[in-house]
Amino acid sequence: MADFDVIVVGSGMSGGWVAKEMCEKGFKVGVIERGRDISPAEDYTDMVDPWDMEHLNFKGHEAKEDYPIQSEVYAFHSYTKQFWVKDKEHPYIVPEGQEYRWRRGYHTGGRSIMWGRQSYRFSEIDFEANKKDGHGVDWPLRYKDIAPWYDYVEKFAGISGSKEGLEILPDGVFQPPQELTCGEEVLKKKIESAFPGRKLIPGRVANLTAPTPEQTALGRGKCQNRDHCYRGCSFGAYFSSNSATLPAARNTGNLTLINNTAVHEVIYDPETKRATGVKTVNVKTNETKIITARVIFLNAGTIPTSMILLNSKSESFKTGLANSSGQLGHNLMDHVIGGRAHGLLPGMEDKYHYGRRANGFYIPRFRNHTETGEGFIRGFGYQGRVYRSNWQGSSNQAGVGKDFKAKNRTPGAWWASMVGFAEILPNFDNHVRLHETKTDKWGFPIPILDAKHSENEKAAIRQAGIDAAEMLKAAGCTNIGGAINEGHTLTEPGNGIHEMGTARMGRDPKTSVLNKWNQSWDVANLFITDGSFMTSAGCQNPSLGYMAFSARAADYAARLMKDGAI
Amino acid sequence: MDNLMMQRRDAIKSLLAISAAGALAACTGKTESGESKPAASASPKFASAGKFLSTDEMALVSALAQTIIPKTETAGAIEAGVPESIQGLASEWGDDNYRKYIRSGLATLEKHFKTVGGQSFTAQSEKQQESLLSKYDADVYGGKKEDQFYRDFKSTVATAYYMSEPGATEELAYEAVPGEWKGCVPLADYPKTWAT
Repeated sequence: MADFDVIVVGSGMSGGWVAKEMCEKGFKVGVIERGRDISPAEDYTDMVDPWDMEHLNFKGHEAKEDYPIQSEVYAFHSYTKQFWVKDKEHPYIVPEGQEYRWRRGYHTGGRSIMWGRQSYRFSEIDFEANKKDGHGVDWPLRYKDIAPWYDYVEKFAGISGSKEGLEILPDGVFQPPQELTCGEEVLKKKIESAFPGRKLIPGRVANLTAPTPEQTALGRGKCQNRDHCYRGCSFGAYFSSNSATLPAARNTGNLTLINNTAVHEVIYDPETKRATGVKTVNVKTNETKIITARVIFLNAGTIPTSMILLNSKSESFKTGLANSSGQLGHNLMDHVIGGRAHGLLPGMEDKYHYGRRANGFYIPRFRNHTETGEGFIRGFGYQGRVYRSNWQGSSNQAGVGKDFKAKNRTPGAWWASMVGFAEILPNFDNHVRLHETKTDKWGFPIPILDAKHSENEKAAIRQAGIDAAEMLKAAGCTNIGGAINEGHTLTEPGNGIHEMGTARMGRDPKTSVLNKWNQSWDVANLFITDGSFMTSAGCQNPSLGYMAFSARAADYAARLMKDGAI
Repeated sequence: MDNLMMQRRDAIKSLLAISAAGALAACTGKTESGESKPAASASPKFASAGKFLSTDEMALVSALAQTIIPKTETAGAIEAGVPESIQGLASEWGDDNYRKYIRSGLATLEKHFKTVGGQSFTAQSEKQQESLLSKYDADVYGGKKEDQFYRDFKSTVATAYYMSEPGATEELAYEAVPGEWKGCVPLADYPKTWAT
């Protein structure tokens, strides 16, 4: 008799969903989380006022020494550092002359605590892209197959947004949108009139604006517009495993959360051709333990899931479990962030904004859609905002004394800014592999992250910078700066914090790791629903898709379990 | 991710950036008495036992901070605890490079104001302090004079002030829990800059 019906490795964005779905279907679920448990009372810092912040919340030397990589993240500061890994304890290797920025946190909820909450659907255009231009392999399904599952997860998670009827960015089940600022309304009008086919819409964000009874029953409340999300939310107003899926799973009585336990490998039985369990290491005591289940879901995060499978070698799978295709660990994708622009938007001196919206505007992809793209395929979208500047801008300008004080007291000019998120093509050469001899302090092989931006990504981001500046110009902005002045420098791979693609789904077991149900072609009771499954990256923030595919795969696995097939 | 955040990040980054060049002699700690009543005499004395910045340095920090953000109908930098924040950064937060940077930066300013004002900045009248610092500030921001330390110092004073309780809640407007988001409201209803 196995320890659990289902093991879920990882409690983050996708693992939380699998746990909820499987628990609600009546299965006993063991969620294995390598990090510690966290509690709102001890770990959330969203109630700290500015004057109670030690040393003005400047990043200290601890940040540089313990978190050299994590501390570069926009969401990292002294009051959020508890959610990021100490880099020294979690080493990885990057080939000479390359860079990779791997940003992560190991604790209950994983990165669902620190995510940017932007939630966008893929469209038919995304699901057809690989087939049309020949990059990667064809997605084994189409938009109509996943659309009902997007509906399903949006209803539960709570996504605020506006219905726009755009083919490139399908509408969903939305709570009311967070309105645009007056500056954004002006920008929208001017951009849409100067560039027909381009749209500026309120960001679609996983913050509750009109909680449903299902959400309030889980202890979740309406977004209070504090913009402290990265510190954790005591109101449970944004979607995280901690606020939403894990409480729902716990309510069934079927959930066992096992913290501080890292999975070393998945155990395979060549007789039954099934995975039987996982070998784990307690990260505090180094004690090893085997935990067994009928079905195993890997949701450790794209890179760790590859690490686990590459480390699960046997006679049957000499290069790693579920890797008969040789694609495991390959086709590592992300989004390139760049093409920034900012500018001063004149006028509206008698208008201001109230509250701190944890969101902004979004400009969906238009290149290679409503407009052509020169020298690149696929495209990019933008996130941005238009606010009046505050003392942080004016205090860096000339002046002292009463006049300086008065200047800082008055809201400054409206500033528009935006940044592009460009699609990265699937490329076999971009991959995760394990170092042959080097191990971390728990004896786990250290990963090598080997990824480079291609000419396509460079050309797309260059165009994003040009287009962003032109849109601001068309809107009447002055003082335009950003990528067009500073050079179109691409951020290093990993900076999108959207790693994906290393166990892609496809139509052919010879060229893909998973079938259209996120099920391993090789091992029928092994499923992967973190970012690993992504066959292409789109340019949209991917978490909503991970949720939808997780719920769909859990539903499929449950049916197979009930039929006795697995 | 927007421009303001970039500016803020740059401000913090520049504060962290240590200029190896331009290290000057350390502050001698001597002060000269002047004819006019020293403005800083009205300021509290800062005990420096166990702290990095000396009593004299703290007097200079206070005088500079209060000249940058004076007391009006609302608290000034001293009432808002800005000098203590800067002592905290120097004593507890910064490393040796940062401490050296502050000490030499303050010494440079002290030397400059002694040269142009005939006596230590702290001994000058409030009026003279304001006039000399205004001129110096205009030169730095006008590109006539290079002083990254002064820019960083001013930015830190502003940060410490506007993050303080009086700075955030009295001088500016602060809502711990706004509750609502309104994208477009009349400025007349909300005339003060949001603190965060």
